[in-house]
Amino acid sequence: MKRKILALLLSAAMAATVLAGCGGSGSGGAETAKTNTSDTNTSNADASDKETEEAGNADSSKEDAAPAPSGEKDVVTALLPPVSATYQDKVVEYIEEFNAANADIEIELTTASWEDMTQKLDIQVNAGSPPDIAFVGSDGISKYLDLGMLVNLNDYLTDELSDFDDAVLNYFRNGDGTYGLPAYCEVQCIGGNKEKLEAAGIDWEGVQKNGWTYDEFREAIKKGVVSDGGSTSCYGFVFACAGVTAKDYFSIFVKNADMPAAFDQDLKYAYTSKKMLAFLEDLRALIDDGSMPKELSSVDAGKRWNMMLTGQTMITGKGLSSFERSAYNNNKLLAEGSADAVENSIPVEYIVLPVPVFEGEQHAQGAVDGYICLTGEKNPDAAHLQNVAKVAYYLASGERAANTCQELYLSPVCDSGREEYAKLDPIADKNEANTACVENLTTQVAQARPDIPAELSAKAIKIEDEVIVPKFQGLLSGEVSPEEMYQAIVDAGHEAFGEDGCVAD
Amino acid sequence: MAAFFYKDRGNNIMDNTRKKKMKKETFWAYAFILIPLCTFMVFTIYPVVSSIITSFQDYKPLGSEWVGFANYISTFKSSLFYKALKNTAVYTVITVPIAILMSFIVSVMILPFRKGIQSFFKGAFYLPAIASGVAMSFVWKWIYDPLPSGLLNSVVRFFGIENQNWLGSSKTAMASLIIMAVFAGLGQNIIIYIAALLGIDPTYYEAADIDGSTFLQKVRYVVWPLVKPTTIFLAITSVINGFQSFQTAYLMTGGGPDNATTMAGLLIFNRAFKYFEYGEACAQALLLAVIIAIFAVFQFKLSANDVEY
Amino acid sequence: MGLFRRYGEKEKYKEIIRNVILAAVLICLAVITLFPIYYMIISSFGAPTEAGGASYSLIPKSFSLDSYKFFFDYSEYSLRWILNSMLVAGVVTLCNVIFASLAGYAFAKLRFPGCKFFFFLLLVAMMIPYQVTQVPLYILVVNVLKLQDTYVALIAPTLVTCYNVFLAKQFFTSLPTSVIESAKIEGCSQPLIVWKIVMPLSKTILAVMAITTFLGEWNTFFWPFLVCNSEKMQTIQVGLKNFSFANTTYFAPMMAGATISALPMFILFFSLQRYFLEGVTVGAVKG
Repeated sequence: MKRKILALLLSAAMAATVLAGCGGSGSGGAETAKTNTSDTNTSNADASDKETEEAGNADSSKEDAAPAPSGEKDVVTALLPPVSATYQDKVVEYIEEFNAANADIEIELTTASWEDMTQKLDIQVNAGSPPDIAFVGSDGISKYLDLGMLVNLNDYLTDELSDFDDAVLNYFRNGDGTYGLPAYCEVQCIGGNKEKLEAAGIDWEGVQKNGWTYDEFREAIKKGVVSDGGSTSCYGFVFACAGVTAKDYFSIFVKNADMPAAFDQDLKYAYTSKKMLAFLEDLRALIDDGSMPKELSSVDAGKRWNMMLTGQTMITGKGLSSFERSAYNNNKLLAEGSADAVENSIPVEYIVLPVPVFEGEQHAQGAVDGYICLTGEKNPDAAHLQNVAKVAYYLASGERAANTCQELYLSPVCDSGREEYAKLDPIADKNEANTACVENLTTQVAQARPDIPAELSAKAIKIEDEVIVPKFQGLLSGEVSPEEMYQAIVDAGHEAFGEDGCVAD
Repeated sequence: MAAFFYKDRGNNIMDNTRKKKMKKETFWAYAFILIPLCTFMVFTIYPVVSSIITSFQDYKPLGSEWVGFANYISTFKSSLFYKALKNTAVYTVITVPIAILMSFIVSVMILPFRKGIQSFFKGAFYLPAIASGVAMSFVWKWIYDPLPSGLLNSVVRFFGIENQNWLGSSKTAMASLIIMAVFAGLGQNIIIYIAALLGIDPTYYEAADIDGSTFLQKVRYVVWPLVKPTTIFLAITSVINGFQSFQTAYLMTGGGPDNATTMAGLLIFNRAFKYFEYGEACAQALLLAVIIAIFAVFQFKLSANDVEY
Repeated sequence: MGLFRRYGEKEKYKEIIRNVILAAVLICLAVITLFPIYYMIISSFGAPTEAGGASYSLIPKSFSLDSYKFFFDYSEYSLRWILNSMLVAGVVTLCNVIFASLAGYAFAKLRFPGCKFFFFLLLVAMMIPYQVTQVPLYILVVNVLKLQDTYVALIAPTLVTCYNVFLAKQFFTSLPTSVIESAKIEGCSQPLIVWKIVMPLSKTILAVMAITTFLGEWNTFFWPFLVCNSEKMQTIQVGLKNFSFANTTYFAPMMAGATISALPMFILFFSLQRYFLEGVTVGAVKG
């Protein structure tokens, strides 16, 4: 009997501790944070970050971490990925420069790889304590917006916003708000091996200037196939489609099938149109022609670039303009006879090519990435956010933008960036035809759609991830027919948006 | 009457000393589990309870709303959830027995060798775990390379089988992940099994030898029952890991093709962080935990009717 | 041993044939499992160029230590990352071995009220996918306890894992109760029983627990990454991941880093080897 009572008591005590624990944080960890630093004017989360940082620092003694004087610097935290090859090193210099020039603000930086950074950001956001500044793709802002944690920069920046090209800045707009500053607009297209293109009799210069239709493209990549004795030694076209990258193939190409966005101008779901069926049949035909490998569905990004450098494909995707440098570096190693060149590779001159047009006009895929400002407070401190916005603008403009864009072989998207860009040493041995092609494609980038409400785009993203991408992988491996995939999209569209909310033709 | 009285008193004395011992034992038992329990309360139970609460909310970091069972209802309505559960169950039910049986056989095979050779094999099977992550994922991608240059394709070509699209076809994608999982868990299972095998008292074998048992009989009637607690441990932890499996599918296939390798763990991850539907993610996670618990209870029940040594 | 048949002098050849066959099978398996390590080491001798991505070759083409140098030059904290990892993994391992074996013993051999309940709780907690417990844990450690960038944050959540308590409990269950009973009758107190009888009888499994815990902690990436912002506090795995870039990767230096990070594991494994191979049985202790 006694034992039972004891057990009961113990479990009760446990339950109590557990409940007390939840009460403490269930009602918001942010609140506890608030009370801690309410006497200072700085953002509480950041101040406490700093405190713990000092407390945790084994080197600094306790006395150093004395209570902050009133003139303490406002700490702005930033979580940034390796935007370009040397960005991680350069950003440290930029920040030192900024900290030196601004006595009242201090930037605290965390860097990590793209994927890790995104995961950390998402956990911090869910926990209600995001960094002040993060670097994300503009297609991801709707989910942060939905949680009410994005800072509307219209409230803090005015003249600074007009520095950016409006069409690009629009990617960070939703409704009336501006929620981020673009670092660049990267055209995602395809790219070819010059020698092989010429051997197949393709007028690549003409294609760079005027684009090509699906039929022209289909014939061209057929000619690029080299096979000896039944096995193909070189394909016409290879796109990285393994795992989640299948999404790139779909979304980059679907823009040129007269569906530049998931919703048409009347905010109806566009992918239920009959144009989708024709598009899917066309893509499947490229594999059935033998121009693309039938194992396409498991070729990953590393593999397809390896195929490009070893001459196993004439054209590859997705293609970024900076691939020119990657090919150039390998050519140099080959010329030196270095053993560090990619095994079995051949000299490749990388040629930027536009995505073929299936129907309608050329709508290039533009990946607009940039800096967003976040807050975990219900009533954030305006002075702090003003500082945050200032830092974000600093990072997105001027010399910083110029350097980043040059490393990515892109042109800056803000006036101050272009000014600085002109002062930089030009890239050695740059292929001018590629530069012109990328510039031309940049003007054809599909328009941003700030008019699509966050809720609708969230639903569309879900359909894309849970229906379109999996079915598309099946389509590429020949297990799902274009009709089946189209039907699945229509069913999902009708379920999410109702028949009235979908395009029918 | 007197006899009865004495007997009774005798019992009482016995009871008292036993009780005293019991009390002491109870004290030490609590002392031994105190620190684990405290850590456990703070860092494990608290997050678990918090996710249970969240599963009834439309979670927003700046203020959640109670939504009752809405998260559970939408989970039950989602056909993808069932598909993911089915995939996860298939993956676990195939991986766990193969991995356990294989590591048991390998561990027994190592036994007859000299100590030096034993340690070589143990190192060879266990140490690859340290190359986890980076090196492993590159190597597996190379193995499953879909083009004829891929390692596995070169092997199957040798046997006259045509080129396979390992991770890209729904026929082979799941099997490919299962092979990976079996090899990944092998080393850990083997060293735990060997620890158990070395702990068996040789007198058991001697007794069996006297009975004229064959090698297989010894394995079946001496070794297997004696390492049973270990097998239960490996089975339950592997089932838990299998059901929660997320990383392999996330890295290798992203759930494709046609959701053939979408696992429950992947689904929960996407809900929580891709779509920020954290409440629904919690609901799905708890449902998954219930299913794991059913499997675990089933495993315990299956093994309970045997004698424990 | 006794499981495998001992052949007499005349039939020695049979034993040899059997062992050769067994060895052949094991070597085949070992080749498969050792392949990733081999690949990791040969790749690490490549040059620290960015262009190529992963190299797919079985034989090293060039031999240079530049990638190792590149790794250490990459950050002024490269060495400190390794020390951080050592400290964290070491403390966690020590705590786990001590506390998990105490708790495992209590669950296996002592009867106390709530015994089954607590054990059940332990198992259930393992069954909740970590994807959802990560956010509340982060809120607790960073927002509430304010432990960001401290060793405590790195160590505390895994101070004693359910996995290890379960492992210890399963092993101690198979220890003969009679030995413990007789020790009790001789007046041995519980801590003494654990120290003098249970621990020595379980050296093998404690060594296994130590190495698996150390390895697990050493390889953990996400939690240290989550709770540490300053480069100074990062562990080796977090530092290694910094080599991964968006479209290209410093492949050879990454492999060099992985090789460096694997070294302490090799050392630990072989230094614990003695315990792995000692077949400790009750008979051995009694004798």
